[in-house]
Amino acid sequence: MRKVVYIIFLMSIVLLVAFGTSLETTKKANFILDTKTKFFVAGKEVKIQFTSNLQATVPQLYIVHSYGKTLIQGTNKNGKLTFKLPQIYSNKTGIVSWFLIFNEEIVTQGVFEITPNRNKQTKIENYLGPRSILAGGKQSTMMVAVPTDGLDNPVIENTPVLIKNQFFNNITIDARKTKNFIAWKNIFSDRQIGKILFSTECKNIVTKEIDTEVCPNIASNFSIHFTRNHEFADGNQITTLSTSIIKDQFDNIVSDGTLVTFIIINQKSTILKTFGTTIKGIATGQLLHPDHPDLYTVKGYITGISESNSLFINYKPILSAFNFTFSDQNRTITVGPLKSFMNQLVPDGIKVTVKIIHENKLVATLQEDSSNGITTFHILADFYKAKNYRFEITTLGITQKSQLKYYDLNQ
Amino acid sequence: MTLINNKNITRAVLILSFILINVLLLLGISKVLDFLNSGADRSSMLHLEKETFNTYLPKVVWERSENPGRIMELNTLKKIEKDYLFSWYVKNKSLQENSKSGIADYYTQNTRQNLYNTLKYNIKNEITIESTTLKHNPKLDFYSADGQLVVFTDKNVVEFQKIYQKKKLIAAVQDTATYKVMMLFEDGFWRVRHLQKIEKTIFSSDTTKSNPVFKVKGDKITTNNLNFTIKGINYYPKNSAWDTFGNSFNIDIISKDFDIIKNAKLNTVRIFIQYEDFGKADVKQEKIDKLKKILDLATSKNLFVIVTLFDFYSDYTLENWTLTHRHAEKIVSSFKDHKAILAWDLKNEPNLDFENRDKNNVLNWLEQMITVVKESDPNHLVTIGWSNSTEATHLANKVDFVSYHFYNAIEDLEKETKTFEQITKKPIVIEEFGVPSYKGIWNLNGANEEEQAQYHKKMQELFKKNNFAFMSWTLYDFPHVPDQVAGKWPWQKKRQKRFGFINVNGGKKPSFLYINH
Repeated sequence: MRKVVYIIFLMSIVLLVAFGTSLETTKKANFILDTKTKFFVAGKEVKIQFTSNLQATVPQLYIVHSYGKTLIQGTNKNGKLTFKLPQIYSNKTGIVSWFLIFNEEIVTQGVFEITPNRNKQTKIENYLGPRSILAGGKQSTMMVAVPTDGLDNPVIENTPVLIKNQFFNNITIDARKTKNFIAWKNIFSDRQIGKILFSTECKNIVTKEIDTEVCPNIASNFSIHFTRNHEFADGNQITTLSTSIIKDQFDNIVSDGTLVTFIIINQKSTILKTFGTTIKGIATGQLLHPDHPDLYTVKGYITGISESNSLFINYKPILSAFNFTFSDQNRTITVGPLKSFMNQLVPDGIKVTVKIIHENKLVATLQEDSSNGITTFHILADFYKAKNYRFEITTLGITQKSQLKYYDLNQ
Repeated sequence: MTLINNKNITRAVLILSFILINVLLLLGISKVLDFLNSGADRSSMLHLEKETFNTYLPKVVWERSENPGRIMELNTLKKIEKDYLFSWYVKNKSLQENSKSGIADYYTQNTRQNLYNTLKYNIKNEITIESTTLKHNPKLDFYSADGQLVVFTDKNVVEFQKIYQKKKLIAAVQDTATYKVMMLFEDGFWRVRHLQKIEKTIFSSDTTKSNPVFKVKGDKITTNNLNFTIKGINYYPKNSAWDTFGNSFNIDIISKDFDIIKNAKLNTVRIFIQYEDFGKADVKQEKIDKLKKILDLATSKNLFVIVTLFDFYSDYTLENWTLTHRHAEKIVSSFKDHKAILAWDLKNEPNLDFENRDKNNVLNWLEQMITVVKESDPNHLVTIGWSNSTEATHLANKVDFVSYHFYNAIEDLEKETKTFEQITKKPIVIEEFGVPSYKGIWNLNGANEEEQAQYHKKMQELFKKNNFAFMSWTLYDFPHVPDQVAGKWPWQKKRQKRFGFINVNGGKKPSFLYINH
């Protein structure tokens, strides 16, 4: 019996020696966090220390940082575990969660915070927009300043930032405090157009200037007038339509390039259009004189924004009657010479039409342009085979009728 | 004269080999042409593939807020949300693969350096981290007047991660953190400029009132304060086994089957929803409608339903967690007030995936899924259909009642269940049991129909004696069983076809007498 006890005792000694080392790891490991501080400054060394009853094995520290996650291998000096945060993480601010991992288990966990480094030189990013606004005080531009410490971390909340802006003689400096990474200010436009310059300052660091353009507001109503060489409907000269200096309601001249549409309605209610864009507030449009007497009603529009007064332009006829002759056995009609208001020949290219009528039915309409005041029509025997025709000749808004003409050869 | 002329043989061989060479040559040329015709996918040129849809779908709930800047446009908010989620997606992906791919699209120039540094460090130390976020609760803090800058606080982001070093799992960690985020609109992308983890915020707990029909009191399931013992059956329509909601869905057939079940004085039916069939993360309304029809039918027949989710799903990777969450959320929240549902069974026999899909992965997925389902539907019970009582101890404290499947010898039923009753204080449901009436070349030891009846008779006696909750497998013999269920070989399939109480011709087998006690 005693032998058995001895053997068992000896066996257990042997077993203890054999598995002694592994027993250390299987006994309940405990870890106590030694690092009491919860705050570290960015850019400085961050060390987390634990006291443990483990003498040799080193657990791993898993960290979740704003910009990444990683495992840190620590050191174990007689039960003092030390984990040093890699610099890439200790440079960046924010809460860091850590999990001490031992044998695939999270044995303890916690958080610490890395705060911005006040000693590193501040940098400021400015975001300004919209970069162009309308005059008049209803629109605003927003200056957003994002100050960071030298390690590109947003500065702590409530850091004062000076937002400065200048418009003509008016210089404003406004102190704002950062919240949600940013300090910001809205600046409303004035009645005047011009540039608002901005800059910001934080912890004695200043930025370059940036600007927002204050553009003229939308145009108010305007007036139009016209100029022309003469008042005759010669189909050749040009009437120039132009606007008054178009301004917004605050007396700023509208931006160059504002499109003005001139809508022209003639006596037959046909709508004609011409366009002009403003330069220094004035837009001009051009209009060819009609080739017949007419009355034009003109109105200018800036689409959807403003309009002008109505303007009436009267075009007088350049002649009251014209001559035409038949020759070549009535096969040729010569119209003209057409003479203008001071008895000069009309400009080339005046349209002349001839309606050929047989027994009160329109057979054909011929059209030619004048040259040197003369227009010639040929009534070809192959086409016009009836015994007689009547003709109506129209040019420059005047129509004259011929007598009935007989064509002997066609009998 | 010899019948076989040597010359003719040579000729034949020559001609045949000529034809063969030609065929091979043509094949080769066509392969080469085929290869040359394949190239970059045109759709990839315009970044069109970058849809969060079916890529990354954590739950995002924007908190209402008045921001001091410009009024937020709804479509901009959607775009910000999409790009912000992508910033997480590419970050997760890069930590997993230690590659920079995609980061430049969603982080500004200064910011992306921080991520590159992390990658460099992790590559050096051979660390890879699989991670996913499960929930985001952003609140808009600021939106600039020009619509180019936005600051928001993403409160209590739930992150789940698995850390590997040298390809060995170190640990799985769940963390909740709040992030303050500043994003800039650059080149058509909202990009992260500043990201800072800040103090967690304490949420006022959800005040949604639950109004459950079934409750768990101790080890009993109760309804209207009365104990409710499940006497049920697993159900597929005879001709659409494992495809209840497919093209042959016919509510009249199901209605007749429910009548059979009701007349047998059973009170519960277990049905199955296949993950892919229901459209994965983008659940098809048509399927929801079909499910509603079945549930409404159950209500009218006074039957209760255990709906088993995620049938035929076996991925579990972190990358697809959010997709499965949206799948479950959509289905479960659609029926949170439906009176016919007794419980959601999250997954049928998930322990069968332990070996191939990593046990921890499966368990973590299930645990998260319990939370998702409970949050979307506080009114119904939740269970998991383990394939045996040993595995059923997993997550037993998280589910409302424990379900396991019993296919062992009859004698073990009481012992197993009673042992298990010692371990858990939750109600226990024997969610599947049965025996096929197939004795044939593939199963010489199998039971015939009479023996099957005897089996059910004995089982029912035990259920009655012990007041066990049971659900038998299954109402019908199936003329067709898909390969995914048991395997493609006849000795696997044949058995699976004959578990029913009613044969393929619609005749009641002897076992039908013992469908209930």
